Parts: sequence; C-alpha cells; structure tokens
Amino acid sequence: MNELITIKNLSKTFNKVEAVKDVSFKIKKGEFLGIQGHSGSGKSTLLGLLAGLEKANSGKITYNGSDLTNMNEDELALFRRENVGVVFQSFNLIPTLNIIENIALPLFPLNISKNEMIERARKIAKDVGLSHRLTHYANELSGGEQQRVAIARALINNPKVLFADEPTGNLDSKTGKKIIELLKELNREKELTVVMVTHDNEIAKNSDRIIEMKDGGVIR
Amino acid sequence: MTKTFDYAWKEISKRKKKYMLNVILIALVVVMLITLNSLGTAYKEASRLPFEKMQSSIIIQKNGNVPENTTGAVTSCSLAPIRNNLIDEIETIEGIKDISYGLSLWVFDNDNFKRVLGVNWDDSLGTKLKAGIVEGEIPQSDDEVLIEKTYAEQYNLKIEQKLEISEQEFRVSGIVKGYGKDIIASDFFMNLESAQGIAFDSKNLQETEEFNQDDINIIFVDTEQTKINAVAGKLKNLLNQESLNGGKTPTGKTIGSYNIYTPESFENQISSLFVLSDKLILFISIITIIGSVLIIMKSMSHAIIQRKKEFGIMKSIGFTKKDIQKEIGMETILQVFAGYILGIIVSFITILLLARTKISISIPWELNPYPHFLASNPNLVDTVQTYLLPIQFQPAYAILSFVVVIIIGILTAIITTNQINKLKAMEVLKNE
Repeated sequence: MNELITIKNLSKTFNKVEAVKDVSFKIKKGEFLGIQGHSGSGKSTLLGLLAGLEKANSGKITYNGSDLTNMNEDELALFRRENVGVVFQSFNLIPTLNIIENIALPLFPLNISKNEMIERARKIAKDVGLSHRLTHYANELSGGEQQRVAIARALINNPKVLFADEPTGNLDSKTGKKIIELLKELNREKELTVVMVTHDNEIAKNSDRIIEMKDGGVIR
Repeated sequence: MTKTFDYAWKEISKRKKKYMLNVILIALVVVMLITLNSLGTAYKEASRLPFEKMQSSIIIQKNGNVPENTTGAVTSCSLAPIRNNLIDEIETIEGIKDISYGLSLWVFDNDNFKRVLGVNWDDSLGTKLKAGIVEGEIPQSDDEVLIEKTYAEQYNLKIEQKLEISEQEFRVSGIVKGYGKDIIASDFFMNLESAQGIAFDSKNLQETEEFNQDDINIIFVDTEQTKINAVAGKLKNLLNQESLNGGKTPTGKTIGSYNIYTPESFENQISSLFVLSDKLILFISIITIIGSVLIIMKSMSHAIIQRKKEFGIMKSIGFTKKDIQKEIGMETILQVFAGYILGIIVSFITILLLARTKISISIPWELNPYPHFLASNPNLVDTVQTYLLPIQFQPAYAILSFVVVIIIGILTAIITTNQINKLKAMEVLKNE
C-alpha cells in the first residue's frame, strides 16, 4: 500500500499544555487505522490536526505530497471538501434540514445542480441503509441512524480518507458494532482510508493497525 | 444561489419564532420611517389647505384704521386699501407664478350687514370662483352680483332677484358654493370695478382711510412650493419700505404695516403634535432608527451566534468563509425582505386610518374679519376649519425605508459573518 498521509514531528499546544507532542507516523492508502488512548491523551486533537480542523504549532502533515501545515483556513476548507470526510461522536446534524439535505450539505457550495446533489445524496443514503428515512429530521431518528447520516454526509464528496472521532461513543454496543461494520465495509469495498479515534479497546481491535497515545505522545 | 436560498428559507421557516422578533423589529423601523415622515408631510400639506381655495401660496394685506361708524361701505382694519401700483412692484420678484387681487368690503346697509368681494373674473381667483358656481353665471355687467349659497339660503335670495348694496341696485346673476367661510369669506362677489366704485363713493370709508378709485386691499400670490419662503422674505423687504404711521389696530397690528401670510402661518395652529413636528419627527425618527438598528443587529447577530455549532459543522465539511458569508447574507436578506413587506403593509393600513383623522385649522381674524358686534352668528364667523388629514402613502418614504433596512441588513451580515468566521470549527464542535 502507498503512503497517503505523512506526519512528522507534529506538536500542538493549548495554553501551554502540549496536547500533541512530537508525533510522527504514516498512514497508508486504504488502511483502517485506529488511534487509541484514554481521555486527554491527545487523540482527538491529533485527529483534528490530520483532518485540517486544527493548525499545528510545529511539525508537518503531508497529504499526497501537499503540506497541510502551510495552508490558510480557506485552503484547508477546500482541502477538507475535496479529500476528507469527518464523523463526530455527537453526529452533528443540522436540525432544520431533513436527512437527504443533511447528507447533501457538503455539496451546497459546489457548482452542481440541485437535482444532481439530491441524486448523489440519495445514492449514498442507500449505501448506508437510510433510503426509508430521507424526508425525516434528525430528531426523528435513532442514534445509530443519525450516525449513519453523518457517515453518509462524510462520504458524499468521495473523500480519500474518513476521520471518525469516537463514532460509537454515543451509541449502545449493538448499534456501535453495526457502525463499525459499516466503516469496515466502506474501507474494504470502496478502499476508503479510515482513521478512527477511540478509547475503547474492543472497538480499536477492528482496525488494521492501532496507534496508542498517552499524554500527547505516541507510545505504541 | 438556489441552494443557498433553499437552505436559508428552510432555516427561517423552521425556526419562525426565533426570527419573528427580527422581522417585527425591521417592520417597526419601516413603519416609523414611513408613517412619521408621511405625517410630517401631511401636516405641511394641511397648512396649505386654507390657501388652496384662493389658489395662492401667499396672502398680502395691510393693517389700517377702525371704521369711524357702522354705516355704508368700509374696510376692516385688517384690510386697509393698497395702492394698485404695488402689484407692478410685486411682479418683479423672482419665483412668483401668478398674482390675483381683490377688494373686500364690509357694507352696513339698513337692512343687514354684507361682506362683498370685488374680483377680476379672468384672473386665477376669479377662475376659481367661477368653478364654484352652482347656479347661474358670473356677473356680466357692473350691476350684477354672485351670492354665496349659505347666505342666499339664509336670506332666501334667488337668481334674477334685485337687491341693494350700499344704496346701489344689483341683480343676482348666480350662486356660488363654499366661500362663506375660510379666508376672506364673502356673501357677495362682484366685478372689481363695481366694488371699487362702492368704496370710493363711501363717505365713511373715505373718512377712515384714503381710498383711490383703483385701490385694492388683498393680494393673492402664487409661487412654486419650494420658493414660498424666499418670495415671502422678499415681499417683507419690499413692503416694509412703506411708511408706517405708528398706531395699532384693535388686534395689535401696526397701522400701515403689511401682513404676509404663508402656509407656515398655520402650521403652529394645526395641532399640538405639529408644533413640534419637524424637529420632533426628526428626533423620533433618529432615536427610533438608532435604537431599532442596535436591537435588530443585536437580535440578528444573537440568532446567528446561537447557531455557531452549525457553522462549525459547515466549516468542518468544507464551507469556506465566502460560503458561510453567502449563507448568512441570504438569511439576513430574507429577514429584511419579510420585515420590509410587513412594514409596508402595516404602514399602508396605518396611513389609511390616519387619513380619516380630522384636523382643525383656526383662521386668524385678520384673514376672515367679521365685525365683533355681529359675531352672534357662528355659521358666518366660524374661523375654525375642519379638514381630513391629507396623509398619503408616499413611495419616496417606502424607498427611503428600504434603503435603511438594506443598510441594516448589510451591516448585520458583515458583523455576524466576521464573528462566525473567527470561530474555530474544532473548538466549537468540541465545546458545544
């Protein structure tokens, strides 16, 4: 497998607290990587840095040869739009939009027709098993269904990598398992690179490779 | 653009209650701007109503002596004779569109008291009077008169009937309606030369004032609306050069001085609100706009800031600053438009209701003189005129309020967009 992302000596400090300390590793194309650690270990901050949602204080992140650390906010936004899908623990759906609109949200700024946008969202919704819920609103869905919507939204731009921050954190174990199965299926069938942050050993075991973090550093 | 509109529309329609306050506040600004300004314009228009009948913007009269006794034809102390050659001097003033003049007399005949106005039937005052004729025609000869309808009804006078005015016989040629009150109200209207003849022959008048054969005692000057004050100023300069004899009339005017009436003379009488109107309306408008703008901006900005998590989500999935700016801009425009339309509707209804309001204008005694000892007939000496407030929905104020709310919208959108764009997506999503 080829390298997709290279992280070199990456550090991030919040108010003199080093959340990520001199971290270096590589992520391969099509890999399912788990980043594991306890609360406060810096794993979510690291995911934010990799997804271009945070700016590092030092170090370098290279994505397919492009240096993320030198990009400004708008360049990072465009980078995320074109290359990255992000899934959060708390689903983060827009309550005033229905499911198909939530899934299609990343396409709103693109110069494509409304019909094409809805068609693409419909197709992704089918892939994640949500065809029957398209006109519903987030508050009418179960936690598992909401996370599927979040995953569908993350996939609509055909990203090369999906970053998932505790994707099962708000779900019961059975629903959580289904979500992990879905991520594994996407990784396997669409060759989607998945980077998943979790504190749960059992969930982390689903990854091809696990990076363990403690006090901002990679310990394994 | 359609997608941005769809999203903004959905956001506003799904959270109606949240945005209702903004829409109402914007509507309030529109209503205040349109209604207050229309009210101001209406009161200004109202002050011109007493002049409208006389087809003039300025009225000139001269203060004179009180008649020695109540016999024959005399002039009121507010309508002393004016030399006819003054018209030539007035005509030289720039901005004057038209001049008409007449001679107003009090005639104490044995049978009763009469108010007589001599006019030129070809000038604008004469033309206006002609338009008010309800029966018959204008006098064709010097021994014919037109009678005011109320007076004709009171004394049961008919067309063709003969009557005496200051010992001269006249035939009724017609009846005119609506000149029994207002400015220089009269009961009889005749050729100017006839009235001048009556005045010249009146011993009582000649003893009170020196009356030349072609004297007049009231001048109506019509100017363009914007030039009324300028022309009135020039008239004051011109007429104040006339010599004064220093005495006072019973109403406190200096004998020999000129009274120059403009619509402004009535503005203070229309209503207590109007006494302060110009300044008050400006003051209220400014305070309302500043207050409302601050509240609207705060309220709109608050509604957006409350959704910072949603904007954090947008940023995380690839919305640039410009994309977010477009979204906030569209939401703001929709609220501004909704508020503007609501404001226009409410303003329209308010103005329709205000247009049913009656206002009273008191005509100064000098402009409608009546012998005080005969003032027992209120029908003839009623100097308080009632008009419907001439308020109209003014498109110019609708445009002004549109510009104001658009500026408010743009400022709010800029401020809130800046606030939202400063937010870090990860921080918002972590903390919310």
